[in-house]
Amino acid sequence: MPYQAEISRKNPGCFLFLVDQSESMEDPFAGGNGKKKAEELATILNKLIHNLSIRCAKSDSIYDYFHVGVLGYSEDSCKPALGGELSGRSLVPISELAGKPLRIEERTKQSDDGAGGVMEQTVKFPVWFDPYGKGGTPMCAALKDATKIVATWCQEHPQGFPPIVINITDGEATDGDLVAAARPLTAVSGEDGSALLFNIHLSSTAGPSIELPGDASKLPDQHAKALFDASSTLTPFMVARATELGLPAAENSRGFIFNAQPLHVIHFLDIGTRPANVRLR
Amino acid sequence: MCACAEHQLAAPAVNHAEAANECDIKVFSCPKSGNSAEEYEDAWALRQTRTPPTGGIRVAVADGATESSFAKLWAVLVAESYVRSEVTGAEFFERLAAARRLWRQRLAGRPLPWFASEKAEQGAFAAFLGVQIDAHENRWTALAVGDCCLMQVDDVGKRMRVLKAFPLEKSSQFTMSPYLIGSRSNGEPPHERIQISKGSLRDGDMLLLATDAVAAWLLKQHENGRPLWKWLYRKLGTPESFAAMVAYGRKHGLRNDDFTLVRVIHHDSPVAAKER
Repeated sequence: MPYQAEISRKNPGCFLFLVDQSESMEDPFAGGNGKKKAEELATILNKLIHNLSIRCAKSDSIYDYFHVGVLGYSEDSCKPALGGELSGRSLVPISELAGKPLRIEERTKQSDDGAGGVMEQTVKFPVWFDPYGKGGTPMCAALKDATKIVATWCQEHPQGFPPIVINITDGEATDGDLVAAARPLTAVSGEDGSALLFNIHLSSTAGPSIELPGDASKLPDQHAKALFDASSTLTPFMVARATELGLPAAENSRGFIFNAQPLHVIHFLDIGTRPANVRLR
Repeated sequence: MCACAEHQLAAPAVNHAEAANECDIKVFSCPKSGNSAEEYEDAWALRQTRTPPTGGIRVAVADGATESSFAKLWAVLVAESYVRSEVTGAEFFERLAAARRLWRQRLAGRPLPWFASEKAEQGAFAAFLGVQIDAHENRWTALAVGDCCLMQVDDVGKRMRVLKAFPLEKSSQFTMSPYLIGSRSNGEPPHERIQISKGSLRDGDMLLLATDAVAAWLLKQHENGRPLWKWLYRKLGTPESFAAMVAYGRKHGLRNDDFTLVRVIHHDSPVAAKER
């Protein structure tokens, strides 16, 4: 049975984010009250890395259950998009990523005061990624680069859980057929199965959010349909976990989300007992 | 508990306590394969009580959740709190204020990086099972939140019937996201999450208290017609025998996790036997 490999520090999982930094990402996001798509993308990516870091935090350290990479694509190229000390790196252990954000902002939130009450608290808010948008959308080039990266990862971790590539875009590839470009990526495999490609579509087209659909019938445009076609089917564990988290997942659900924040995606991989009574952010 | 090298079969530790004349109690535990002994996040506690009417043996196991921080500390505090108290019902969870305070105090003032600080804010979480054994009256009372399990097997050496599996009865009921007890003030379990059960004991009955992975596996073996009850009763007694069971289990569906197994074999007290 594929997709059964245990994720551990010895055998870590891999998340590779592909982020659209094209000029069209400067357009308004349909679900965002005037927010630009590039801003929504940055919010999503920072939250995903933040939550993944918290998930792997263990007492006063952080366990390297995952290695994470970010590739940005814009103008006519695709390149590693992490900045600061991590510039140029394709994949980084989560402990290093958590320890080296671009900056840490301070924000205020309400929290438990330990005696049944609520108090205001200043919390650290790390930022790894700022909004950016320029030029065309070489998504196929990004998928090609991602294919090379995950192929190397699978060679180095032949028994590991297959890499998960998460592409966040407004859906308009300017350098070819993205469905065809995705095929070599999802054909890369190790002993535990093939790499998985999930797509997060941030559209300017208004419409209800759609999460993990089983077919493309309710998708609003051809860009969404192409991204759906390129997306992998969820594994049985992912369907069960998504259902547990209140998402509308079924046996044939694909890793595709339209105009919604995909924050639950990082919980689709198991690293041990997760308390049901912890609210996911 | 002894340490084990990474990438090798965890060398299990065995603890043995003759807690009362009426019961033979052995405790076995080992960390998840690939983890050090310091990273073991289960806990167990045991105490003989003499105060009537609750005199007897109190034993508890707790399983700190992997996806929470400082979970080992919390699991120890919950298990110890149970064996040091005298209550057997849901009110136990209302009396965890001191344990919660201790947990907070151990973290207070500790310099933590942003991720560790934020994770600690969520609190630690643990599954819990506590059992009071009234050996002289040949009965037990169990209290549980989460997926640590009690299994009672009778007719040991004969038909080996499973009289009780509590709070989960089948291996299919175990999940990776059980409801657990939290170390923060809002971590008290709601009434519907608290499970209580009672039962009687006969001479030779075996009670097993286990954290989730080993409990699920023992139930699965039973469901598949390959029960280990007789082996557990007759052969489990040394660290080596526990290591052998774990090694066998890892080849036959035992999930990699911390393992804790408490085996209690009950013997009728002369007084109780005479009265019946």
